[in-house]
Amino acid sequence: MKLTDTLLFASGSLRGSPTRTLLMILAMSIGVASVVVLTALGEGARRYVVDQFASLGTNLVIVLPGRTETAGLGPGMLVGQIPKEITLDDAEAIAASRAVKRIAPLTVGSATLSRDALNRDVVVLGSTSDLLEVRHMSMGIGKFLPAGDIHESASVCVLGNQMKQELFGNEQAVGQWVRLGDRRFRVIGVLSSQGESMGMRTDELVIIPVASAHQLFNTSGLFRVLIEAKNRDFIEQAKRDAEAIMFQRHAGEKDVTVITQDAVLATFDRILTALTMAVGGIAAISLAVAGVLIMNVMLIAVAQRVKEIGLLKALGAPPKQIRSLFFAEAALLSSIGSIAGLVLGYVGSTIIGQVYPSLPVSPPWWAVIAACGTALGTGILFSVWPARRAARLDPVAALAGR
Amino acid sequence: MIELQNVSRSFTVGDQQVSALRDIDLRLDAGEYISVMGPSGSGKSTLLNLLGLLDRPSSGTYLLDGGNVTDLTDEQQAQVRREKIGFVFQSFHLVPRLTAAQNVELPMILAGIAPEERKQRVEVLMQNYGLSARADHRPDQLSGGQRQRVAIARATVMKPTVLLADEPTGNLDRTTGWEVLKLLEGLLEQGITLVVVTHDAEIGARAHRQIHMLDGAIRSDERHSA
Amino acid sequence: MYYRDFLTLTTSSFLAARMRSFLTGLGIAIGIAAVILLTSIGEGLHQFVLQEFSQFGTNIISIQPGKTQTQGSNVGVFGSSRQLSLEDADALRRLPYIESVNPSVMGNAELKFNGKTRRTTVFGEGREFAQAFTMKVQSGTFWPDADDEQARAFVVLGAKVRQELFAGQNPLGEYLRVGGQRYRVIGVMEPKGQVLGMDLDDAVYIPAARAMELLNRPGLMEIQVAYRADVSAEQVTRLIKDRMIERHGREDFTLISQEEALEVLGSVLNVLTFAVAALGGISLLVGAVGILTIMTMAVTERTAEIGLLRALGARENQVLMLFLGEAIMLSALGGIMGLLIGVGIAQGLHLLIPSLPVHTPWLYAVLAELTAVTIGLVAGVAPAMRAARLDPVEALHAE
Repeated sequence: MKLTDTLLFASGSLRGSPTRTLLMILAMSIGVASVVVLTALGEGARRYVVDQFASLGTNLVIVLPGRTETAGLGPGMLVGQIPKEITLDDAEAIAASRAVKRIAPLTVGSATLSRDALNRDVVVLGSTSDLLEVRHMSMGIGKFLPAGDIHESASVCVLGNQMKQELFGNEQAVGQWVRLGDRRFRVIGVLSSQGESMGMRTDELVIIPVASAHQLFNTSGLFRVLIEAKNRDFIEQAKRDAEAIMFQRHAGEKDVTVITQDAVLATFDRILTALTMAVGGIAAISLAVAGVLIMNVMLIAVAQRVKEIGLLKALGAPPKQIRSLFFAEAALLSSIGSIAGLVLGYVGSTIIGQVYPSLPVSPPWWAVIAACGTALGTGILFSVWPARRAARLDPVAALAGR
Repeated sequence: MIELQNVSRSFTVGDQQVSALRDIDLRLDAGEYISVMGPSGSGKSTLLNLLGLLDRPSSGTYLLDGGNVTDLTDEQQAQVRREKIGFVFQSFHLVPRLTAAQNVELPMILAGIAPEERKQRVEVLMQNYGLSARADHRPDQLSGGQRQRVAIARATVMKPTVLLADEPTGNLDRTTGWEVLKLLEGLLEQGITLVVVTHDAEIGARAHRQIHMLDGAIRSDERHSA
Repeated sequence: MYYRDFLTLTTSSFLAARMRSFLTGLGIAIGIAAVILLTSIGEGLHQFVLQEFSQFGTNIISIQPGKTQTQGSNVGVFGSSRQLSLEDADALRRLPYIESVNPSVMGNAELKFNGKTRRTTVFGEGREFAQAFTMKVQSGTFWPDADDEQARAFVVLGAKVRQELFAGQNPLGEYLRVGGQRYRVIGVMEPKGQVLGMDLDDAVYIPAARAMELLNRPGLMEIQVAYRADVSAEQVTRLIKDRMIERHGREDFTLISQEEALEVLGSVLNVLTFAVAALGGISLLVGAVGILTIMTMAVTERTAEIGLLRALGARENQVLMLFLGEAIMLSALGGIMGLLIGVGIAQGLHLLIPSLPVHTPWLYAVLAELTAVTIGLVAGVAPAMRAARLDPVEALHAE
């Protein structure tokens, strides 16, 4: 029997019982649609995180103080003050490496920011002029921290966008004086709106020169040193250089941890991809249920169409052909169900994308193929038994209706 | 005692009104044996359905055992059907997955009668109809005649006032058919009104009262001696 | 109709087409199994995490300097303008309902003993540390009751440190260099393992005052206050807040109650578990479509039977109930099947991977079965109503 004829015959019998056919298609499409939507969500989350990382800066290598034997990242990581702290001199030494394009030392603390009567506690970032580039930030008004000797503690500050709004409203901020703790700082710039990245609300930061921060908080150690490698190929080199330099400077002590942003990103990427697959997999269980339904209905159909099958056999159809007819029906059902599910899934993803514009929701191609493939496979797999039953009917008995 | 007063029944087919029954006046007494004959479309099936409270007249009144059952609610109709009317069909209409005994029990189950009493009644009936050996068999394990006997047992288990038989021998061979008919006729002694709808003149002639229908009206209504 | 008869009639159609009924129930079973399995794992994780958290006892409130918070960890910890002091800790000790107060600092330092060096975490704590955190000293003692300000250079070793630096030897009484300073070992903590990612055994414990000096910190990182179990957290929080504001002049600190943290964590985990269960619920949706399909087909097949039932005097309601009952029976039995499969797989996984916690609360099992029954109800309603509304005359003449 020609393929087209088989398909026509199959579609004819499907159309013969419209309600049950529609219901089976519905079952399939729910399965496919849910896989599509869920993987789209997962993929959206993954892309969001990756983008966030990218916005932090590219080719980043980070040096953190402290190291425990048992775990590379230990609780000591969180504390700025440790016996062998990373100093500004250390940071400058690292900057000398050939693989390094620029560095930005970081000190973090909290202080009370006040202007006239208004005051609030803020997170204060102490850094250098290179921070702007390293962290891919941009200025809204005015200038960033001045370049020059990083040991110089100028009394200038840069405000985050929201900070400026809160303290100055619509007035001009640049040129004004504010108090941080018990020192006065002149505002020389306001960052453009950066939004949130990796938990730090950049718009609510106050950035001052690192040396001034050290004075303000009475410390001399750095929270982190951010390193921008020359390019992707130099990242590993920069990491090794940083480790070597610090090792040397700290008298043969391995008391810092150097991580590459890539490595962290890769971990996140793996985790999120795995999550997406898991979520999709769970949704795909519903495809198995749809398959069971198809098998059930087909078994009933075989019983109900016994006479018809008997007739086909009497007319000379070999068992193989009988089986193909049933496979064809299942395949048709699965295909239409898949297409319907895909459409539903894409529509659903688009709607979610509208509701949450910050999430790049789009079904990954591998999930779409997997969903359709699983649907088709399930449909055909679950029609095997009914098909074989039909093929094995005795024509005489079948014609008599038994 | 059954009385139809000026009963009519019309259906809307497409956009036309079709009159299935026209101004029927009919009175059936207890213990009467009536046959209803006529060509297809004469309205005999509709008459049977009306008598069996499976349908409502478009106009007119239906009195059953003195009570007006014309405009009963669905619930009330169901109750009257259960208690006063028995059906026997051409195609038996036994529930294929229940045993013979369970099929006979069915009206009692619907009526909410206690299991012990049901069991008793069923046993008696099965015995009377010679079906005791087959009580636990399913319909597909019974012959046509046996099936119809089960159906008759089911129809009489609630001791109805009237038994309505629609071509009761239609699916049976001649010999079995006569046996079944004799069974039905035996019920007359219990005071049941027996109405048999048939197209077989020979069967119809056996009734004491023979009604011929044509085009929705009663063409003739003759009494014959037994 | 007697309930027993109802059951008999419903079961008869169920049994009459066994394969079909089994497969229909299987759909629901798969869905329920997935949901139960996922919630069992979620619930197991929930309990596990809560246990971890409760390791230290739940009646603890932590005070941290500074008021801004970024991402959970208090940034003020690094270098803020106002400090928490040992005097603050002392002041709190005098409040009612307080059982113990522990000043706390943490850092990273190098230990040297007998030529061996090791870099570990240094915990600076108060004398009541072991009591407050239900950690016991395995040998020796914690430092004795003494004014925290004048704490002596005593050190208590974590179990791992003891092993690494003093293998075999008795460490008590020995002198250890911590961050260049000499400390006398007076105790060893019992092994506690990892808690929330921190290895408590690979650490040393010294008096807070000494730690502050060693790590060159002007203030404490945290003060942990353990209060009586029969008093509410809100009450104690208020007392602490008032006293601290008195001392500092303003609210330049943050209070975190263990209870609160646990609650928040608990509800987050619950949300996650249910979200995951909802995923499994998609299969149930498809299962419901299955029941709908099969019941619709059944009504069509048994049209003549429905006509008969009505002729025999069945009310519309009774027909409705019969078919609805079949649908519910299918889903209920499928639900039980699913429960058994789901719990079975969960337990099996736990046997294979003992570190994977699973727990199936009775409530969830009951809810799952109820869900299954509801699905049968909802999916079966439409076909059942169609069956009930069939015209008996037409039905009797159906093919």
